[in-house]
Amino acid sequence: MSYKNFKIARLLITFFLAMTVSIAVSTENVLLAVSAIGIGMILMFLVKKNVKAVLVDEMIKNIAGKSALITYSITVPVLAVLSLIFMFSNLGNEGSYLYNLGIIFSYIALFNMAVYSIAYHYYQKKYGSDKE
Amino acid sequence: MAQIKNNIKVLRAEKGMTQEELAEKVNVTRQTIIAIEKNKYVPSLELAYNISLFFKKKIEEVFEYL
Repeated sequence: MSYKNFKIARLLITFFLAMTVSIAVSTENVLLAVSAIGIGMILMFLVKKNVKAVLVDEMIKNIAGKSALITYSITVPVLAVLSLIFMFSNLGNEGSYLYNLGIIFSYIALFNMAVYSIAYHYYQKKYGSDKE
Repeated sequence: MAQIKNNIKVLRAEKGMTQEELAEKVNVTRQTIIAIEKNKYVPSLELAYNISLFFKKKIEEVFEYL
């Protein structure tokens, strides 16, 4: 499959997913939504497997890495600040919606930091180690 | 600021190749070839060697450190 055909197939799969999920949401059919996502993932996997053209190369990985770093640098501080604001503004009102949201945000920020830290140490060990 | 320039565009024109054909030969996307030709992206050493090998030139004949 050429890159042009891959782009058409990807567009069709996205259209199929958008249509099916919107029908599933409007009819409140969870099974339809889950099966549509499953079928979409399988179709995407099959399409990617049959593409002969290069889809990901070093420049795309480079761009993805930089984008991921910027996303991390923005997301974590924003989540941390929001969680502090939500928790401290509702100190006498523990258990309220905003207080709980603050706790959730802080856990998401911590989870992000943990994943980043693990990934960073993994790659540092992989590339920075003096072991051969 | 130091910059790495290249003459891929000239070498490619000499061979009468398109960016897509070169991209296919060195296993990258056409976007990467475009970015390298415009000096917007500095390729890895491996890709630089692959490009030089493809044109049967020395790496310093294709890439220049200014």
